[in-house]
Parts: sequence; C-alpha cells; structure tokens
Amino acid sequence: MEKTARNTFDAIVVGSGISGGWAAKELTEGGLKTLVLERGRNVEHIKDYPTAHKHPWEFAHGTHLSKEELAERPIQSSHCNATDKHFYVKDSEHPYIQEKPFKWIRGYQVGGRSLTWGRQSYRLSEMDFKANKKDGHGVDWPIRYTDVEKWYDYVEEYVGISGTREGLPHLPDGKFLPEIPLNAVEKHLKQSIGKHYQDRTLINGRVANLTEKKKGRGPCMYRNLCSRGCPFGGYFSSNSSTLLDAHDSGNLTLRENSVVKEVVYDAATKKAVGVTIIDAITKEELRYYADIIFLNASAIATAAILLNSVSESFPNGLGNSSLQVGHNVMDHVVNEGTYGTYNGLLDKYYEGRSPGTIYIPRFQNLDGNTETTDFIRGYGIQGKGKRENWQSKATEGFGVALKAQLETPGKWKISLGGRGEVLPNYDNKISLDFQNRDQWGLPLVKVHFEYGENDLAMMEHMTKASEDMLRKAGFENVGSYRNSPPPGSAVHEMGTARMGNDPKTSVLNKYNQMHDVTNVFITDGSCMTSAGCQNPSLTYMALTARACHYAIQQFKSKVL
Amino acid sequence: MNRRKAIGGIFALTGIGFASFTGFKLFFEKASRGQLQNYENLLAELVDIIIPPTDTPGAREANVQGYIISFMEFCSSNKEYTNFYNGLNDLQENCLSDYNTHFADCTNQQKIALLEDLDSSADPNGIMAKINKKLRGRPFFSILKSLTVEGYCTSKLGATELLAYQPIPARYKPITTLQPNQKAWATS
Repeated sequence: MEKTARNTFDAIVVGSGISGGWAAKELTEGGLKTLVLERGRNVEHIKDYPTAHKHPWEFAHGTHLSKEELAERPIQSSHCNATDKHFYVKDSEHPYIQEKPFKWIRGYQVGGRSLTWGRQSYRLSEMDFKANKKDGHGVDWPIRYTDVEKWYDYVEEYVGISGTREGLPHLPDGKFLPEIPLNAVEKHLKQSIGKHYQDRTLINGRVANLTEKKKGRGPCMYRNLCSRGCPFGGYFSSNSSTLLDAHDSGNLTLRENSVVKEVVYDAATKKAVGVTIIDAITKEELRYYADIIFLNASAIATAAILLNSVSESFPNGLGNSSLQVGHNVMDHVVNEGTYGTYNGLLDKYYEGRSPGTIYIPRFQNLDGNTETTDFIRGYGIQGKGKRENWQSKATEGFGVALKAQLETPGKWKISLGGRGEVLPNYDNKISLDFQNRDQWGLPLVKVHFEYGENDLAMMEHMTKASEDMLRKAGFENVGSYRNSPPPGSAVHEMGTARMGNDPKTSVLNKYNQMHDVTNVFITDGSCMTSAGCQNPSLTYMALTARACHYAIQQFKSKVL
Repeated sequence: MNRRKAIGGIFALTGIGFASFTGFKLFFEKASRGQLQNYENLLAELVDIIIPPTDTPGAREANVQGYIISFMEFCSSNKEYTNFYNGLNDLQENCLSDYNTHFADCTNQQKIALLEDLDSSADPNGIMAKINKKLRGRPFFSILKSLTVEGYCTSKLGATELLAYQPIPARYKPITTLQPNQKAWATS
C-alpha cells in the first residue's frame, strides 16, 4: 500500500478509551493531524446511549440477561447486565485463552471502557513511585511524583473530579470539585473509624462525576446509571469530552471498525512508519502512515499488537529487545466484599442516588507505625452505605404484610471491598497463540496470571480489617463473601510494557517512548511499572497528557 | 399439618427432596420451554395473593405474571424452569385434591392456605433446603415470590405507587429526616 496524502497523518492513536481519548485531544490540539483507530463501532455521545432514559419497567426481564445473551458473554456477564450490555463485547466473537482463570473485561467501541468505568480517581504518591526501588520487586520507575504532579493537576481540572482535600502524603490531594457528601451511615462509620483507629480515616470517594457544570457537560443528575452512558454528560468519558474537543480542533480523523494488526517498522530509519489494520466489517487490510504512533489499546491488546509486529529487527515483537513485552501483568487484588447492617439512624434517609463511594485510603506499611509483617505494600477499601430496599431486604411471608415490608426503607447497610497492590511478576504474562486465530486472522491472546503469596495475604487482611471496622462501629450481621473473584475482575490490568530507566529490563522510557523505537509511545495501562493500590485511570490520563506534550515538542523540533 | 408436608418429610430424608408424583416424574425429564403462557391466568391469581391490591395496585394489575413468564422463558436455568413448571402443576393438582376445584375458583382463604403451605415448607435455612437449592435450583415458591417482588417493584405501578421513584433526582441530599409514612426509593 502506497503512502499517499490520504493515508498519511502526523500521528496515529490506536484506541479511543480513556487514554486514547486524551492522546487524541492533546495531539490534535497541539496541531498534529491525527488518526484515531478504534476496533469497535462508533458510539456518539448521547445519541448512542440507547438505554440511558429507560425506566426499570422498560426492560423485558429487568436487568437480567437472557440465557442466550449469557451464553454469548460467559466472561463479561459478571460485569454487565441488560441495561449496559451493549458496551461490553460478546466473548463468543472475541475469544482469548485463559491459561489460568482471568477475566478480560472489554468494551470494543469508540470510548472503550471509559463509558463504563468506575470513575474512581486517585493519584499515585511519591511512596508508590519509589515502591519498586524500596523493596526490589520489578524495576524502578523512571519518574517520581514531582514529574507527574502538574499533569495530574492538568487532567483533573479538565476531567472534573469531585473530592475532599485531606492532606494525606500517600494519597495526594488534587484539583477537586466539591465532594459528593456522605450519607448518615457513612458519616457514622467515618466517626467511628476516627474514634477507634489511629492509623486510618474514611474519606469521600474521589470520582469523575461533575458536582458542578463544566463546559458542555454536567452537572451530575444523581441517577446513578452511569454505565449506560450519561445523556447529561454527568461523568467523564472519551465520548463526552476528549474526543469532542479533538474533533473541534479540526485535526481529528476517527476510523472505527479498525482492528490493528501490527505496527510497521522500517529498519533503515529505525522508526515505525505506520500501522496495518484490518477493517472489522470488510476484513480488508489497509495501511496508515504517521510520524508518531501512540498505542492506547489497553494493556493486554497493546502488548498483543507489539508481539504480533514481528520483523527481522524485532523477531520477538516490536520494541521487545528486553523480552519484557507482555510480562509483569498486574491487576488489583480484590476481595469479594464485606457487609453489615446498622440498626440506628432509622429516622434518616437520603434523596437522589449517589454515584460516589466512601474510601478508606491505604493504612498499612506507610511508616514504622503502620508496618505489618503479613505483606508488603498495601490496599485501600471502597464502599457504600444505603438503606435496604426491596432488592436487599429479607422479607417474610406474603400478602398485605409483605407489601408493608417492601414499602418502607429497611435497615442501613454498608458494603466494603478492598483494592490491593499486586506485585510485578515476570511469570504473569500475556502471549500469542499463533496456531489459533480469531475471525480477522489474528493470533489469540493467551493470559497466564496468578496472584502471588503477598497478594493473597493482602486479600485475607482486607477482609478481616473491613469486618473489624464494621463491628467496632456497631454493625450487625457482619460477614464477608469468601470466594474471591478471579484475577482481572478489578478491570485494572496493566504493566505489559513497563517504563524504566534501563532498556535491557524495560520497554518504555520516562516519556513513555519505546526505548527501541522512539516514535512509538505507549500510555495506556501497559506502561505501569508498579500498580499502586489506587484505581489507575487518572494516572494513565496524566501520563498520556505528559507524553503527548513531549511528543509534540519532539515533532515540532523535527526530532521525530 | 397436612398430607403433603408429611410426604415432603419422607422424601427429604431420602435425599430426593420434596416432590409430588408429577414433580418426581419430571425431575428426570426437564420441562421444555415455551409452556408458561398457558399458565398466565393461574400466575395472575398467584401474584395477586403474594402482592394483593390494597390502597395501591396489586401484582396482577401491574402485569407481574407477564414479567414472570418473560423471565422464566428467557432467563431462567433449566433446573429452575423445571422446578417452576412442576410447581405450578403440583399446585393445581393439590388444589383439586384438597378443595376439589381450580385455584382461580378457590376462596381467598383457601388460596392463602395453599401458598402458606408452600411458603413454610420452603424453609430457606434448612440444611436440606440448601442442599436441594444447590443441586436442583430454588424451589417453586421461592422463585415465585422473588420474581413477584422483583416484577412488581420494577413495574410502573409498583415503582411509582407502592414505592417512590425519581427518574432524574437532579440533586443529592445525603441526609434527610424520614417523614411519617415515607416510602422507600424504588431504585438505588
């Protein structure tokens, strides 16, 4: 395929999810003619949110998937239901191989998983960027908190994160909109934790829901139906924000249904020259050229593209001289959850449905006073308090008595779930099965992931700690679900093309630029050198904006 | 209590579980789908006993029978479909043998008695019940009741009349004082 004016751009961005959307916005606003390739269908903000205004009675069988829909989604079905299933792939159409149980939750459409994300937004801290160096797991990050701080500011101001300033060194404050306030039982738990523990505190979750209006979006209407897509632009997604601004720049070309097969490398210039795609519908193979390529396909898919980009120079995959591509997969370790009911505060209720949560930031291994011998690093706990209603109440009998039970608010109930840092481990990896291919002829992804001892010790600890906090606060019927969900369930997979100082042991440099191929940047979860215990999307966005500004500067000074 | 309870006890000990002759027979041959539409009237009677009309509408008026049929036909597991189908047939048979008439023609008291019998025999915490649930899916009454509650509380009538439904709250008031007779929110 010849290089022509029509198929040549300044930059190509692969993927339109939360980090791809940012790359699109920054590069186009920086003046680069940018092609965004998305493997799935187009989803236009508001117009393509078909269930957003549906009432509960407008679904044929409530939120339940039919047997047929379940059969098509044996993996995704734990994360979606009838109200948002159109933003999740059918596993039957997009198979992968689980060498060990691993949930690969995917949304193949413009906007990717930014449509359905949990919206929790926390900064990594200096402690997190130093963690690998301190205890020797993985390699050292090539950056520190001060390198990212202003980029966190930058993306937070644009995204709109509601939250409170807490002054915690291990969970830096950001540029926040007013917080989503705590309800009566959440306040009660906060007070109890303050009274009973020296080491921890309960704060308002920091979420990308707009408590104040932003340009063209929001505010949040407190419907708590975010994953259907928000017709009010109440939360941040690529669709509602970054892609619209990229479009308005006049520099964006968006091509949906474009499955990227490989990045094309030119041995003479030692640069990537473009990408080959397969049109998802016609199966036609096409090539696009650009000076700069950003891979934002998400950690597993980006690694798969690299591993499939085989050339004489890179027989093990593009930019893989370190042999680290695809390795060091991390997720967050989660427990199934802890719950308890509270018999007081029965004269209190709430109005509106909060899309927010409560958060108990990491309180282990922060300093000498919080050290534990059970594990290294740590976890935070997220949760929510509500009064029980017909969905959660245990009722007795039937008839008029049952109606009376349904009609009135039940006891208060809090659910808590931990999110812990998984250590980077070379053995946890994705690879390609060249013998088995999908409908586009691409090799199937194989995932091999297992929690380590440290991860499992943390899981045990978070369950006990959650139960302890609820009991001390006077909760009853405190219990935990004992079966932990399979890895992947946190949908925080990352680490498959890590950043580092040494090209021998890492894939990307401190600007997310491939050590081996300097015009390829990777700013999705692949780049993460360690996982922290914080929900990672905010960090992907900050690193993307930072890398884009570096790339634009390099482009304009003709280095790239 | 009555005949069926005693039989249930005997079968429970054998590990086969509570089953009438019909149920016992069909335990081995799963019920085929697409049959529940024929039971719409019976279901309408049943859901109206579970959630009767008071100063707010009953489940029949909210077409909960339609919801149940839709769920059972398209979403239920094979085990639970069979349990449910057999349960409906058992109920009809028992109705005929106990009261010599169809469920629809029973007095309200008789209907309540028939359901009470099923409700108390479906002890959800009993060990046998737990084992049975794992092996065979939830029993008939447990399915019927939970789907009736769900279908009713997500119906327009249930959500807006028995409960309080705000499609677009627009604001979040995190702490309010509960007013006398304030209804629970329909959605969370």
